[in-house]
Amino acid sequence: MAQRQSFTNKWFSPQARQETVAGFLLIAPVLCGFLFFVAAPMLSTFWLSFHYYDLLSAPKWAGLDNFLWMLDDDRLHAVLRNTLFFAVFAVLGNTVLAVILAAILNQKMPKSLQAVFRAAFFFPALVGLVFVAVIWQFFYHKDLGIINYYLSTLGIEKVAWLSNANTVLYSVIILDIWKNVGFGMLIALAGLQGISAEYYEAAKIDNAGKIRQFFDITLPLLSPTILFLLVMNSIGAFRVFDSIVVLTKGGPGDASRSLVMYIQEVGFRDLEMGYASAISLLLLALVGIVTIINFVASKYWTFYE
Amino acid sequence: MSNAATAGPSLGRAIADRGTTYLLWTVLGLGSLLMAAPFIWMFTATLSPMSQAFTLPPRWLPGSDITIESYLRAVRDYPQLVRYFWNSVYISTLVTVGYVAVTTMAGYAFARLEFPFKRLLFGMLLVSLMVPIQTMIVPLYIIMRGIGLLGTSGSIILPGMIGAFAPGLSGVFGVFLMRQFFLTVPKDLIEAGKVDGAGPIRIFWTIAAPLAKPQMAALAIIVFTMTWNDYFLPLVFMLTGDDQVLPLAVVGISGGRGGEVPAAVILAAVSISILPILIAFVAMQRLIVESFMRAGVK
Repeated sequence: MAQRQSFTNKWFSPQARQETVAGFLLIAPVLCGFLFFVAAPMLSTFWLSFHYYDLLSAPKWAGLDNFLWMLDDDRLHAVLRNTLFFAVFAVLGNTVLAVILAAILNQKMPKSLQAVFRAAFFFPALVGLVFVAVIWQFFYHKDLGIINYYLSTLGIEKVAWLSNANTVLYSVIILDIWKNVGFGMLIALAGLQGISAEYYEAAKIDNAGKIRQFFDITLPLLSPTILFLLVMNSIGAFRVFDSIVVLTKGGPGDASRSLVMYIQEVGFRDLEMGYASAISLLLLALVGIVTIINFVASKYWTFYE
Repeated sequence: MSNAATAGPSLGRAIADRGTTYLLWTVLGLGSLLMAAPFIWMFTATLSPMSQAFTLPPRWLPGSDITIESYLRAVRDYPQLVRYFWNSVYISTLVTVGYVAVTTMAGYAFARLEFPFKRLLFGMLLVSLMVPIQTMIVPLYIIMRGIGLLGTSGSIILPGMIGAFAPGLSGVFGVFLMRQFFLTVPKDLIEAGKVDGAGPIRIFWTIAAPLAKPQMAALAIIVFTMTWNDYFLPLVFMLTGDDQVLPLAVVGISGGRGGEVPAAVILAAVSISILPILIAFVAMQRLIVESFMRAGVK
């Protein structure tokens, strides 16, 4: 009884009621947006994945057909392989380089020099991926490209950056790292600034060199930030789309086509909305699995101060 | 640097460390040049005579023949570029203003007000932080078609303004960022308002929101940049319409007419799209860098 009393007091005193009304007023726009543009489409993706739907006629029940087709669809397997390959190297490259760059940049150096370096590495992260991908096309061009020009002056044979099925994904990965490493660096830098200088003072007394300081102090204390970078970079990598559309349109053949490109093609070109939704769930599962793995792994290797 | 007067091994260490330091600075310097190279080359190419834009060996700095010929040609061949530029400006502005306003409101409510189902609702929102927009794109397309926004700028503006998602950002991102900020505002400041008899909305408006201005600026910078740069949502929602934005225009021009478009024209279109971001970055580098740092650290 007493509990009931306090419950009603908590929500129904004039002041509490005023606060409840205010609270719902303040969250109303975001809540409407969420229900209409996030929750509804999320649920619809599940629903559509069990249907055939081509926008023109009414949706038809498909049972598990869309999922069974996923098992047989060789093109899906190809784009999945491409996406995973891209993700592994882009995530590792982006994360490792970001941490190394941040560690170097965090050393004692003149403030102006640090600002210049930081700006140079971060700026590409601010610019739209499609814009820079268009520039990079001129760098990657096989016969007239700038990279091959310098390679040939060094006597190295021309590389078919975008037209060889075996190299094209590396080209996309290089662009991705160039574009994104600066953002990761910034986040790692913020993490480093949270590490107390005392640790490094202690290391100096022990006469530990900079490389050893990096492995013994920086890396363990930075592990929560590294975990965050891994998750952020993985979620980003699974969605790779813009750069490939501009550089190769998925080619040669399907050699560089990504999962999201395939979703777009199946859904909006072939108008197989049900199958596209089923593939979307695969993407969702990938993101979910990686996030869970990262957090479980973190229990074992991240070090919270 | 460690004290050179200390004996033996640490003197050696100091010299070695200094050597490493200079080596690392050189590496960073070369790396910075590599990072900047595509932009330097692009600006040089667009400021050279059109016949010289894409030559080998590449030009890295404009010569005495500097000209804006390629920009004039781009705007003449693609007069719609100017309209698309303003479309990008106004879409990004509206999305930013709306998104920051509604996520600040919600962030405050979740941080400082008590109301039923608060935890449940916030948890529900958090789930969507893990859901990439690409996984919902098919139903979103159908919804946009159903409410008649397909092919119009409204398809980007509406969900952005009510904080459902901005391109590349889920709405929760803003709610979360603002909530984290309001949690750091001392309770006393807010209690002071209560003593004066002000209601919760009034306290939010007169006390809390003004305090949050720096955080709102940081969020605004991120949202504006993401919206300006996004290609995926306009491609799916807007491609069929007359109103387009710069990312669509640039990809259209660069892939257009089987390689007949001169390199200088393509690069001029890219340059027009990048310049506003570059100018903003040069003008307020510290603010922009700190905004993105804040967002990353949570």
